Amino acid sequence: MNGELHERAKTLIAQERVEGLSPAEREWLDAHLQECPPCADLAQATEQALRSLRGLSVPLPRALASRTQFRVRLRAQELQAREPRWRLLWVACGASWALGAATAPYVWRALEWLGHRAGVPNFLWEMGFGVWWALPAIVVAVVLLVENAGRAGDADWLRQRQ
Amino acid sequence: MIWATAKRSTTWATPAVPGSAYLFSTLMADEKQALAQGLRRRDPELLDGLIEQYQYRLFRYLVYVTGSRERAEDFFQETWIRVLERGHQYDGKFKFEAWLFTIARNLVIDWQRQKKVQSLDALTDPEQGAPMQFADEDDPSPLHLMLQGEAEATVQASLAQLPAIYREVLLLRFQEELGLAEIAVVLAAPISTVKSRLYRGLEDLRGLLTGKSA
Repeated sequence: MNGELHERAKTLIAQERVEGLSPAEREWLDAHLQECPPCADLAQATEQALRSLRGLSVPLPRALASRTQFRVRLRAQELQAREPRWRLLWVACGASWALGAATAPYVWRALEWLGHRAGVPNFLWEMGFGVWWALPAIVVAVVLLVENAGRAGDADWLRQRQ
Repeated sequence: MIWATAKRSTTWATPAVPGSAYLFSTLMADEKQALAQGLRRRDPELLDGLIEQYQYRLFRYLVYVTGSRERAEDFFQETWIRVLERGHQYDGKFKFEAWLFTIARNLVIDWQRQKKVQSLDALTDPEQGAPMQFADEDDPSPLHLMLQGEAEATVQASLAQLPAIYREVLLLRFQEELGLAEIAVVLAAPISTVKSRLYRGLEDLRGLLTGKSA
C-alpha cells in the first residue's frame, strides 16, 4: 500500500513537469511530499536536473548570424532574379495551352489529312497529335528538372563538408 | 514593423485575467499571421531579425542533435536558406520556432539518410562516432572555462549518454519550452509518443544525474 503511494508520487512528480497536474493531484502530491522525505528528495532531484538542463550553455561561433544573413540575402537575390524567368515561362505555357485548345480541331484535321496523304497508320498521326498537345507540359517538365538539378548542386556543399 | 512587434511579444508576461488572456492570444495569432505574411514575401529585414533572435536556440538544438559544432553550423545556415525558400509553407498555426526546428530536424534526417545512418542515435552516440562536442574548442576563453562549471559538465555528460530520441524531446520541452503539440509537430509523431519519450527521458536523466552526483 505504501509502495503504491510512493509510485503514485513518483508518477505525479514527472507528470507535473511533462503535462501538468490537476488541482486535486497537486494537493495530494504536496501533502505527500510534506510527509515523505524520499519522495521530496526525488522531487528536488527532478527539479535540479531540469534546472541544470535549462542552464546549459553552448557558445555561439563567431559572427554566425551575420554570415548566415549574408548567405540568406545572396540566396534571396538569386531567387528574385529567377522569378521573372519563371513568370515568363508560366505565361508562355499558359498561352501555348490556350492556343493549343483553340486550334486543336484544325490541327487534328490537318494531321489527319497529312496522315492519309502520306499513307501512315491512323495511330501514328494520332500519336503525333498527342505529342503536339503535350509539348508545353514536356517543355515545363524539362525546365523543372534542370532547375531541380541546379538546386541539388547548391546543396552539395553541405555533403562535401561532411 | 512586423519584426519589432514579434520581438516585443516574446517579452510579454502571461496575463492573469481571462479577458486579457483572450486579447493576448488574439495578438499572438495576429503576429504569427504577420510573420507568415512576411515569410511569404521573403522580407529580408524580417529574416535578418529572425536569424538574430533564434540564432542561439537553433544552434544549441543543432549541436545537441548532431553532436558536432561544425556540423551544427552547416545545418544552421542551411536551415535559414530553407526558411527563405519555403517561407510560404509557414501557416502561423504553431509557434515559429516549432516550424524552424522541424526544418532543422528534417535537414539532419535527410543528411543521415544520405550517409546511410540508420537512426538518430547512430549520429550522436559516442560509441558509434566522434564524441559529442558542445564547447568551442578553438576558443576556450578563460572566462568561458571558468563559467562552465562542474555541474554543467556533469549535465552535458549525462545528456550525451541519453539516447538521442530522449535527449531531443527533453531539450525541446525544457530548454526550448515548446508545448507537447508543438513537439509532436517537430517530431512528426503522435503526442502519446512525445509524452512517453519525455517520461522515459526525464527518468533516465534524473537517474544519470543522481548517479553521478552520488
